Amino acid sequence: MEGIIIALFVCLVLALASKYLSLPAIPFYIIAGVVLGKAGLGLVVSDQISSFFSEMGLIFLLFFVGLGLRIDKISENRSAVLTSGIIDLNVNMLIGFVAAYMLGFSFIEALIVAAAFYISSTAMAVTSLIENRKLMMRESETIIWLMVFEDIAMIIVLALLSAGDQNLLFFAAKIIFVLAILYVLAHYGKEFLVSILDREDELPVLFTFVAVLATAGFAMFLGVPETMMVIALGAVFATTDPDAFEQHARPFKDVFLVIFFVFFGITINLSGSVSLFVISVICVLAIVSKLISGVLTGIYLYGSASSGLEIWANTIGRGEFSIALAVLYGSPPVAATIAVMVIVTSFVGSFAAKYSGTLLHGFSGRSRHHGPPPHRMRAGH
Amino acid sequence: MSPMALRSLNLPGVGTKYEFETDKGDTVAIFFTKTGTIQMYTLQKGCHTPSAAEMTPVEARRLGNILTGAIIEADQESVEIAFSALADLRVTIHTYIVPRAVAGKTIEDLRIRAKTGTTVIAVSRNDKNIINPPPSFVFETGDAVLVIGETDQLRLFEREILVD
Repeated sequence: MEGIIIALFVCLVLALASKYLSLPAIPFYIIAGVVLGKAGLGLVVSDQISSFFSEMGLIFLLFFVGLGLRIDKISENRSAVLTSGIIDLNVNMLIGFVAAYMLGFSFIEALIVAAAFYISSTAMAVTSLIENRKLMMRESETIIWLMVFEDIAMIIVLALLSAGDQNLLFFAAKIIFVLAILYVLAHYGKEFLVSILDREDELPVLFTFVAVLATAGFAMFLGVPETMMVIALGAVFATTDPDAFEQHARPFKDVFLVIFFVFFGITINLSGSVSLFVISVICVLAIVSKLISGVLTGIYLYGSASSGLEIWANTIGRGEFSIALAVLYGSPPVAATIAVMVIVTSFVGSFAAKYSGTLLHGFSGRSRHHGPPPHRMRAGH
Repeated sequence: MSPMALRSLNLPGVGTKYEFETDKGDTVAIFFTKTGTIQMYTLQKGCHTPSAAEMTPVEARRLGNILTGAIIEADQESVEIAFSALADLRVTIHTYIVPRAVAGKTIEDLRIRAKTGTTVIAVSRNDKNIINPPPSFVFETGDAVLVIGETDQLRLFEREILVD
């Protein structure tokens, strides 16, 4: 228990520092974990309590992913979601997989590295667009829909990985059974849900917490992956009042997720499990491959490589989802590789996003002055 | 004045965006972000880089008041109250300083209600407040008056009564 308190206190100080420096906080939490844990000072070890809290963090992160899945909104913007998403998926999954496989990871390990390599951090991309005042750029809408596509891709990856070697038919039947229960509960209980959420007392928060935990517990009981079910719960709740659920679940997510990140760092074993060479190659490729997919997307959508650079700058950072994959399915070498990749890409990404304006000016300053005015996002007439 | 095309858009994870183009071709975009702040971008026609300002909700409301013309001078304040339950009823309460031209006249003389639709609900004179002044109330120079009405009616009050 003291371990969690020490770790959380260090994280609090680092969170303050990261906000002050306007850098993403996730890499700081992982570094704190690495320093405090196995690979560093060995001050904190993970125990039953910390693993329970970490699991809560993951479950609430996935619940938020589910809440963000507004099926109706996504299908309205299908073309926006698809075009950039498919380029991003193909380029990065392919480069990630081939690189990992050639560097000596097994087939399954390489798949997990590739998935973690592919998925940018939604939290970092959104924060970067807001903090760097880039929301008005035409590229920012592309980036936002790209993140939605990646979320959906991650759900599919999770489903495939969690099926494992079970009988697929039986597995699918179980998932559909739980989904049906969730849907019926939300559909016929909608008024009841809304009446609970409208209350001023402790009930809305208690209800949200219990609903998420009970769903995870029920899924484990049935042998269905709880990750999938919590996302499904979020997606079903999103049909009632997603903003209220976000508000009530946010404190749990914020605290437990920090524990999740720091204890991920604590359990990392950097020595011996994987060579520095392998890690460095993956890190460099992680930056380069998003550059390739970004520029391709920029050229395809806007006919402009500098648009692609802007997309690249804001999507370099890998974060929460890469770590989730490492925790759920990563062997120690895979986890160590992903940990370093998240730290490196999130710092590089943060700087690239901050200075992309200057970068782009140097890159295409001449054509910007002499070329025809580029087509800007306009209000619909 | 032609109605401007206002585009509103829900951006998942970010918030809501409102954007419109002015008659002169400049673009204004407002984002209500999930972090609770409001970002306003303006892009001048022919320019490539927008300029941005980030505001708290209070600051955004103050900007809104300035843009609707409710605040004329810094020492004259106005508060707009919206009653969402009453079909989005909006009333504004505004303070004004009585100019010399109005001094010596009564509320009845000035026909404030008939001409503008507004009502004088209080007058502050030498640190004393008179609530609900009668029609026979005589204004003096320097009186601070509290007037209630819709934004348009208050504008009429400024034009018809104060500048007499």
